[in-house]
Amino acid sequence: MKKKLIVLFLALCMVFTMTACGGKGGGEESSGSAGGTLKTAASFAYPSIDVHKEYYGWYTSIYGLSEALFKFDENAVAVDCLAEDAVADGNTWTITLKDGVCFSNGDPLTPDMVIKNIKRLAEVNERFAYLGDFDWKADGDNKIVVDTGKDVYPMLKNDLASPECGMIDLDATKDFDKDPICTGPFVITEFNPEGDVTVARNENYWGGDVKLDGAVFYYMQEDDPKLLAMQSGEIDCYNSVSSGALEVYEKEPDKYVVESVPGTRLQYYILNENRLDDAVREAINLTVDKEAIADYQKGTVSVANSPFPDSTAYSKVSIPAVDTEKAKKLLEDDGYTLGSDGIYQKDGKPLKINIAYYAARSLDTLAVLIQEELKAVGIDSYLTVEEDPDSTYIATADFDLALYCMISDKCGDPQYFIDSTLADGAYYNVGGFESAECEEMIKQLKTEVDPDKRADLANKIIQIAIDDNAFGYVGLFNHTTVMKPGVSGFAEKIPFDFYGVDANTVMQ
Amino acid sequence: MKKQKAKLRKRVIIAAVFAGILVLIAVFSGVLAPNDPYATNSELIRQAPSAQFLFGTDNLGRCVLSRVLIGARTTIASTFFLVAISFIIGMIVGMLCGFYGGIVDDILMRIADLMLAFPQMVVAIAVAGILGGGLGGAMIALGITMWTSFARLARSHTLSIKNEPYITAARLQGKNGLQIMMTHIMPNILEPVLINALTQIGTTMIGISGLSFLGLGVVAPQAEWGSMISEARAYIQIAPWAVLFPAAATVITIIVFNYLGDAVMEYRKAE
Amino acid sequence: MSIKKQIAKRIAELIIILIILSFLTFLLMYLAPGDPAEKRLSSQGVAITKEVLEAEQERMGLLRPFMVRYGEWFTGILHGDWGVSFKDDLPVAPKLISGLKNTTILALSSLILSLIVSIPLGIASAVKKNSVLDHIVRLLSFIGNALPNFLISVLLMYFLCIVFNLFPVVADGSIQGLCLPALSLAIPMAGRFTRQIRTEIMEQLDQEYVTGLRTRGVSEKDILIHNVFHNASGHIFTIIALQIGTLMGGSVVIETIFRWPGIGKLVMDSINARDYPTIMGFVLIMGTIYVVINFISDVLYHVLDPRV
Repeated sequence: MKKKLIVLFLALCMVFTMTACGGKGGGEESSGSAGGTLKTAASFAYPSIDVHKEYYGWYTSIYGLSEALFKFDENAVAVDCLAEDAVADGNTWTITLKDGVCFSNGDPLTPDMVIKNIKRLAEVNERFAYLGDFDWKADGDNKIVVDTGKDVYPMLKNDLASPECGMIDLDATKDFDKDPICTGPFVITEFNPEGDVTVARNENYWGGDVKLDGAVFYYMQEDDPKLLAMQSGEIDCYNSVSSGALEVYEKEPDKYVVESVPGTRLQYYILNENRLDDAVREAINLTVDKEAIADYQKGTVSVANSPFPDSTAYSKVSIPAVDTEKAKKLLEDDGYTLGSDGIYQKDGKPLKINIAYYAARSLDTLAVLIQEELKAVGIDSYLTVEEDPDSTYIATADFDLALYCMISDKCGDPQYFIDSTLADGAYYNVGGFESAECEEMIKQLKTEVDPDKRADLANKIIQIAIDDNAFGYVGLFNHTTVMKPGVSGFAEKIPFDFYGVDANTVMQ
Repeated sequence: MKKQKAKLRKRVIIAAVFAGILVLIAVFSGVLAPNDPYATNSELIRQAPSAQFLFGTDNLGRCVLSRVLIGARTTIASTFFLVAISFIIGMIVGMLCGFYGGIVDDILMRIADLMLAFPQMVVAIAVAGILGGGLGGAMIALGITMWTSFARLARSHTLSIKNEPYITAARLQGKNGLQIMMTHIMPNILEPVLINALTQIGTTMIGISGLSFLGLGVVAPQAEWGSMISEARAYIQIAPWAVLFPAAATVITIIVFNYLGDAVMEYRKAE
Repeated sequence: MSIKKQIAKRIAELIIILIILSFLTFLLMYLAPGDPAEKRLSSQGVAITKEVLEAEQERMGLLRPFMVRYGEWFTGILHGDWGVSFKDDLPVAPKLISGLKNTTILALSSLILSLIVSIPLGIASAVKKNSVLDHIVRLLSFIGNALPNFLISVLLMYFLCIVFNLFPVVADGSIQGLCLPALSLAIPMAGRFTRQIRTEIMEQLDQEYVTGLRTRGVSEKDILIHNVFHNASGHIFTIIALQIGTLMGGSVVIETIFRWPGIGKLVMDSINARDYPTIMGFVLIMGTIYVVINFISDVLYHVLDPRV
């Protein structure tokens, strides 16, 4: 027994000395040669890099492996990437591919290959199944003609910019999960399912020289390790910076470069029209002070002046400013009287609402702050927390005010958000919002091709919902990136979450 | 010997006084709190400790000291309740198993195995879904595994004394199982199991907090030490006070109650 | 009862336990709000539509009745098929094995680490009761036992990686990467073990046989090693065995912060994704581990405690 213990102890001592000696080594290797290897952190890690499946395409896009026919620029507009352009004429779209686009193995990207990719995507990804209903035909060696059937489909170009629509060399790829052959500026060198990922420069990149030698994506879910790794210099940049970390970085502007643009992840609330009358809803919306709420979330959130980033054409709506006096007056006109406890009541019943939330995306902070603000004008409330909102309060509509967070713009177009939250019978339209006028305009939006008219329609639709006090749009998460000085081109100016390294990413 | 006993008695009293103070703080926290523990203020976010806010302010500009005080009630009460219930169930099951053995032992111990293997989170989520959120669900989820450790320990101690002469003597006197368990076994196995109960206080406090953090324990804005730590930990580098004070409160509370347990145990031994 | 018979009986019991356990878990998952298809479709925060959700539910077989789904899983298990994950369509068994392997490594190293500290300290502080050493050891064990593990891990990371620069923050799955998570787990565990060992040893020291041995002139050291520690080891093993079960469940916080791909994080992710097959597999493994550990600790207990 004694001997064994001694042996064990010695073994452990050895382990410790070994590790202490090897201590720092890991972090500092190979920064040599031209471009260097960029080290960064990823908050998600998937078991596969099959571009078409699930949301894996978001990450193959971040890793710089896959590219779609189009990509989004800083203003959330779909611009050319693998394809030059896509032009709609009624229910026919004509897509023109760029010349000289090839996969990392040198094979060219042909219209046939694009069609095969879209067919596969429609088959393996439920969210894109509708693409399979269209009729895709190759036309010559660089054109594809898409017949969208009897309905006009104005969204095709934007949809094709989704990272899931990345192109894979379906003929040459042997292992879709671990080694898909794509067109991106980087190729996979090491893929650990649900772990770290290493990529290297694609020597055959069709778009010219790739500046970096490669990149490493460490899987780090928690904010603390990312901050610490950035401080110790083990990673060069990362995005989705937390507000705690942001303050640390801002204290040392010479050591860290922080770039922040309004993103597309929206914090909002639904007001239950079946339970709260018009005056109460309006009073709530006049009370909730989104500027103050954004202040609490220092730097990580921008005030939502509409569900969409201010830079878009479809964010031009007007929301009444905070006016607590008017809110009180509205309640009093509606028959409420202020009780001795500072809470409004009607027919002897105090005005107490149920605020439902889930503890993610800072919604817990929002819940507490909204509760405080409402209390100040005389609206009492209690909080209900759920682990899973979709199958609880969203499904049962058992709430007065429900907080939710979702991506409001996934492809540079308002239709997706309107369809999900405002259309009749939409999955997230659970607060009883109904408007025939709105429904009519949504129908028009579905077939309207002209971007300006689309934006105009969207603005009108959202304005109806705002005037009806059906929702409250609170904040849009910023897309915040921190970088060491000298690092740039890490998609730090694009509002979407699915871009990362590209051919122009540089360090030093 | 007498002197020794007096010294031990003094220790029990000191520890009890400290524990009493903590309980009093928990009970009168509403009066003691210098500020409104729920009042948020965007001007006062993450203020360093000052005369107005002795422990500083948290992420929402709330007074950390007031929240620590109010949180004492939630944390201490729920922890004690949970430990006490688990302890009682565990003691009963453990003694039954150890004393009777055989089929009773087999069935109860296998139920314990069964409970231990349940993932707590599944239970917590399901209970929260069925009963609605709040501390109740979290406590059931933790309690379902917690009693088993008491049961196992009580059982192993019962086993080791059940063949002692005084038990045999009691049997020969015609005392029934219940009497023997209550008068002979329980007093003799109480101490080690009680120690286990005291060491569980820390884990339980942390466990309740952990579930609170995931939205399965206390509902905001209720103050609870663990969830305070969880909420503030992202800011540990810029506002360490918001983490360190509730953490210190947790550590001190656990130390005081552990110390009390030890002191009582030694005092009883000396008798 | 012979040991063979004992084992056969335990195996029979184990099977019954696993059946009940799996059924209850499946039922709880079924009752819990949340749906694997919905979790999967909304993992990046993109809104879902009813049509897509229903199609996905259909594809994953979630629209069938509860008993059919449980029955299908159960038949699969009987044929040695653990099923594919609802989260990513990968087979469950390799996932669990790899998670279990990593967790075992972490659990064993932290267990050994904490025992190396707590056995000598526990014995010393029991023997030198009320000495300065005893007070210091007890204070340290109190504090260690009272620290939340995420606090330990963040503090360790901050001080050892940033302030003293001893370890890299981004550790890989090597021995170097093992140090910090093992230490974070070992600190509270050592605090707890020290207290429990001290209690057990003191219990033994108060027994009459110790006084008897002392009067017979047996040296304190011999009494301590040959009798006291030996007799207390039954209880100590029970304490350790209980801890092993908990350790094998994995620690979500530590595995996440130190990027240690163990089973704790796997199961937490699976629960969040309502990934039935993975959770069910985990429950089967944990049930088996608990039953086996308890069996071994019972046997050891009988072997080590001379009085039983």
